Amino acid sequence: MASSPSPFLDPGTHSAANTLGILQLKRDQLIPAVLSASTEDSDYAEGKVENTRFGSFPHSTLLNQVWGTQILASIVDTGSRGSKSRKRRREGDEDGTPDTPNAEVQESRKKAFSRAVKASSGFAHLVPPTPETWTLCLPHRTQVVYTPDYSYILQRLGAKPGDHIIEAGAGSGSFTHAAVRAVFNGYPEEEDKFNGSEGEHGENGAIMPNKKRKRYGRVYSFEFHEPRTNQLKSEIEEHGLDSLVTVTNRDVYQDGFCLSPESYGDSEPNADVIFLDLPAPWLALKHLARSPPSAAVLKSVSSASDPSTPNANTSTSTIDQQTTPSNSFQSSLNPNNAVRICTFSPCIEQVTKTVSALRSLGWLEISMVEILSKRLEVRRERIGLQEEGLRGANPSAATVQEAVQRLRDVEGRAKAFHGLQKEKQEELMRRAEAQKRGEKVAKQDPEEAEAQKAKVLTGLPPSKHDRLEQARSKLGNRELFKEGRLVHRTEPELKTHTSYLVFAVLPREWGKEDEAKARKKWG
Amino acid sequence: MHSYIRPNTYIALRLPSGTFKVIEITPNLNINLGKYGSFPAKLLLGRPYYLTFEILDKDDGKDQTELRVVPAAELHAEALGSDHATPAESRDESADGGVEFDIVGEDGEVIMRSNRLTIDDPSRQMLSMEEIKELKKAGTGSGKDIIAKIMASHMAIDEKTSFSLAKYTLRKARKYLRRFTVLALDVGMLTEYIIEKESYKIMELREETLGLISSWANIHYGASSRVMTAEDGVSQIGGGRWLVVDDTGGLVVAALAEKMGILYPNREYEEEASEKEQESVQQTAPVNVQKTPHEKPNDAEELSEQTPIQNSQNEEKTVAQQQNGTDIPMPDADTIERSPTPVFEPTTSAAPTLTPLNPTPRPRKPPRPHIPQMSSPTNTLTIVHTNNQPNLSLLKYFNFDHGNPLPSHPLYKHLKSLSWLQLLYPHEDPSYVEPEVLSDEVLAGMKSSKRGNYYKKRRRWEKTARVVDETRRGGFDGLVVASSMEPTTILRDLVPLVRGGGRVVVYSPNVEPLAELCDYYSKERRGAYVTRRHDAQQNGSKITKEVREEEVNGAGHLEDEDEMDPDFPVNPTLLMAPSLQTARARHWQVLPGRTHPLMTSRGGAEGYLFTATRVLPVEGKVEARGNFRGKKRKTGPETAVKT
Repeated sequence: MASSPSPFLDPGTHSAANTLGILQLKRDQLIPAVLSASTEDSDYAEGKVENTRFGSFPHSTLLNQVWGTQILASIVDTGSRGSKSRKRRREGDEDGTPDTPNAEVQESRKKAFSRAVKASSGFAHLVPPTPETWTLCLPHRTQVVYTPDYSYILQRLGAKPGDHIIEAGAGSGSFTHAAVRAVFNGYPEEEDKFNGSEGEHGENGAIMPNKKRKRYGRVYSFEFHEPRTNQLKSEIEEHGLDSLVTVTNRDVYQDGFCLSPESYGDSEPNADVIFLDLPAPWLALKHLARSPPSAAVLKSVSSASDPSTPNANTSTSTIDQQTTPSNSFQSSLNPNNAVRICTFSPCIEQVTKTVSALRSLGWLEISMVEILSKRLEVRRERIGLQEEGLRGANPSAATVQEAVQRLRDVEGRAKAFHGLQKEKQEELMRRAEAQKRGEKVAKQDPEEAEAQKAKVLTGLPPSKHDRLEQARSKLGNRELFKEGRLVHRTEPELKTHTSYLVFAVLPREWGKEDEAKARKKWG
Repeated sequence: MHSYIRPNTYIALRLPSGTFKVIEITPNLNINLGKYGSFPAKLLLGRPYYLTFEILDKDDGKDQTELRVVPAAELHAEALGSDHATPAESRDESADGGVEFDIVGEDGEVIMRSNRLTIDDPSRQMLSMEEIKELKKAGTGSGKDIIAKIMASHMAIDEKTSFSLAKYTLRKARKYLRRFTVLALDVGMLTEYIIEKESYKIMELREETLGLISSWANIHYGASSRVMTAEDGVSQIGGGRWLVVDDTGGLVVAALAEKMGILYPNREYEEEASEKEQESVQQTAPVNVQKTPHEKPNDAEELSEQTPIQNSQNEEKTVAQQQNGTDIPMPDADTIERSPTPVFEPTTSAAPTLTPLNPTPRPRKPPRPHIPQMSSPTNTLTIVHTNNQPNLSLLKYFNFDHGNPLPSHPLYKHLKSLSWLQLLYPHEDPSYVEPEVLSDEVLAGMKSSKRGNYYKKRRRWEKTARVVDETRRGGFDGLVVASSMEPTTILRDLVPLVRGGGRVVVYSPNVEPLAELCDYYSKERRGAYVTRRHDAQQNGSKITKEVREEEVNGAGHLEDEDEMDPDFPVNPTLLMAPSLQTARARHWQVLPGRTHPLMTSRGGAEGYLFTATRVLPVEGKVEARGNFRGKKRKTGPETAVKT
């Protein structure tokens, strides 16, 4: 698994079996799919299939495709699953065999396939996964940290390749993926191979201590909820990131962030950057100090915690592995660097508590920020009388002139109509009078009357019925894509608040000895 | 980014007034902070970032100027106001309710003063302007005395509410405290610094937008990416390479480079170096003292002296020893530029290459090993610029001068640049034309200066040809644009160079250009484009031919000066899911009982981002499916160019 690079970091040119691909249907409609070549564990004749409302996409049509390719939907019999007698079955098998990325073979295969099953409509795009696309389609377990937030957080925290990040409250793992991308600077395994020490690693991807090793970026992810931890672990493995992320199931309020030295060598978090997405971040802060905080500070920090916070209570009751870090304090921070922290809390009360705890523990540059982001939709707004009866446009008058013209038209028609009516009336009257007088009146030819009527009407503006007809018939020749005014507005669904972000920096420890050394060195 | 302050780096000093001073710190510099005092730079060197220092000089009874580190507790106590000393602060607001914010306590006693009695009159300050000036001249130390005196002589200090008192103290502190905070000049800091001074220079790019750009462009370290070629066997696909159009003076490039790990030199070694340094300060000191008085290193010889020192701080090895392979081999593509081992270009092999074993303080001009610039195959930024040279002036804050780059800087190999002329019409650019090749005999008979010129020309041509050819073959992982030019004209030529699934991100301070861009990539326009192409295909095979050409060229319609259809300035089928967004950070004040958003912030350009994904549309007609129930809505048949 670890031998092939993660599709998040280096997707390669083509989609490959057993790696994650994203099927993008619409901008916000994406389907994550670990592409599988086997037809074994599927009820469909075609092997694994992604069914969407834009069509069905058998994995065999998605495999070994150049990333970004538009994929046409296939006709998949979704009704009679597992009917092995189907003709399609044979082809499915054929495609199920892992094939070489030979262009010709691929080409012929694609053609054979599309001739057989290409649906008349429907398509999607196959794109490589990124933290952004993953954020849009990951299985929600908790509130997700979205792109505007995590991009700002990582920017402000200055997460760079080679950094170590502690993430507590991994949740759905959206931040985890973004964090890996930010700190990634090579896979530790590769380096070890180069050094000739192909020794076994711990199951958790521990790095064997060897001297003068390049510092590899790494994410130390903590999650309190065990099923979520396991789910995240398997996702991380599936995404080929397991050598870069350490997922730990732990109550960090109680047990802090240090990993036991046996399994992790000297690579304990040694963090440069911390991100806390916890209900009570202030309870975890005492574990993020350079030296054990004094009793007074601890007391003030813990008294800040609201006893009604549910997680504070559960945390004390459900600890299985009791490791008391207090007797031998081990810092989980990088001693050589200033450490930056961000906490992510939705409520202002959480913020005030966090900030006062940060102050007590000697953090500096404390600031609180809220990210207001919005997406805009751009469209063409078509207004005008020519839009009558058409969809997606406003059929009212576009200008005063148009309105006046329409009024004139209506008035003109009414006048003509009234004229006709009057004439008809008069005709009737005349006939009645003639009858009274006993004269015999020649009956008017109805056709003639119609013709007369038409003659009057031809000069007139069209009726509503005609106008609608005209608008519809003209539609075919109009270039709607460039008509109307180009407008933009915020999208209908507006996220007005996600969370408050508290940032702070803990400088490197600086004592008298350090000062003396520096003074000696720099004169 | 360094963990402590090193000589010859830029640092930012935040003054009590909240303004920033950015300086390049050198060992013999005297840093002058105006009314806040001055001090020698050596007092800062080797110290960690983010500390606040107080300037103590002879007025405070010191023989020479000293800096005192102001502890965090002291800083916070001042920020919170006198009532809230840390760590007691948190206790005050604990469950029993912020006592002193109730105006009336349980027993009816007035606990918090209201501002009913406040008198707005400057005469309440008994000290006159002159007297305060006098006090300052008398130099009563760090300014705390002055503030204390000012407070003491304020007649109505007792009448102030605790909030206004805190504010008053803070205001005075800003004016008189002789303090400053040292901040690392990273991209975020630089953005903040410039946006306050000359925001127009960076197109009013805010930090939050920079973050968004890097995320949406999927910028990350790519040096370990595989070098893969497309089906044609020549063009590279992916490999952590991004195309950039940057009119922000290099800020965007810096932000991207920071995320790719190529902005700061030699970061990996820092850890070990600084650790060792702690152990053996004694040893290093003389070496560094010897080197640092040098003027800014300007050329490769000096560099070859300096790199080993930077790399492995204090191993007292000669350059030669380093070259013999005592340095660790690095697995990734960066090997060459991080280890000081020189790389020889094939062409240079003709020239005798000698490395000085014992570099004299100023060697005359030894033939220096040539490290090819812009030669990294992975983890690169390729910048397309409008003028002859790109404007990357802000990179100077990260010790990179594009006009005279140091081979030791990661950007030397990872930042590639070419002009629009070189990209679109390379043959019109003289530096793309191959200079004649001379035989070794001819060269041997040449004057050394002429021979040098010959190699210089060859190398320049090689560099240009390499970058131009690579860029025109495309396959980039993404495209980032922050330019004042019309975005459609940029995207028309650069989008075809992005690989399938690659990201395209365009920044603009104003929404209008991007709204237009969205419109040019709209679904309706895409449908119309496809229909038009389809019709044309039916009528004659002119367009098909074009398509073929594009396929052959690989570089899309880079060169064909074809009549641009005004309705379709860009090919709308090449980008999927175009979207437009903006983000703004709202800053808050968080103080016990006084938490609220800041009252004012910077206005100006909002800053918008267009993002989309490059896709490879299939050939032939494609009909969409889904959407409206029953009635199948056609978004238009889709045919397209297979690039």
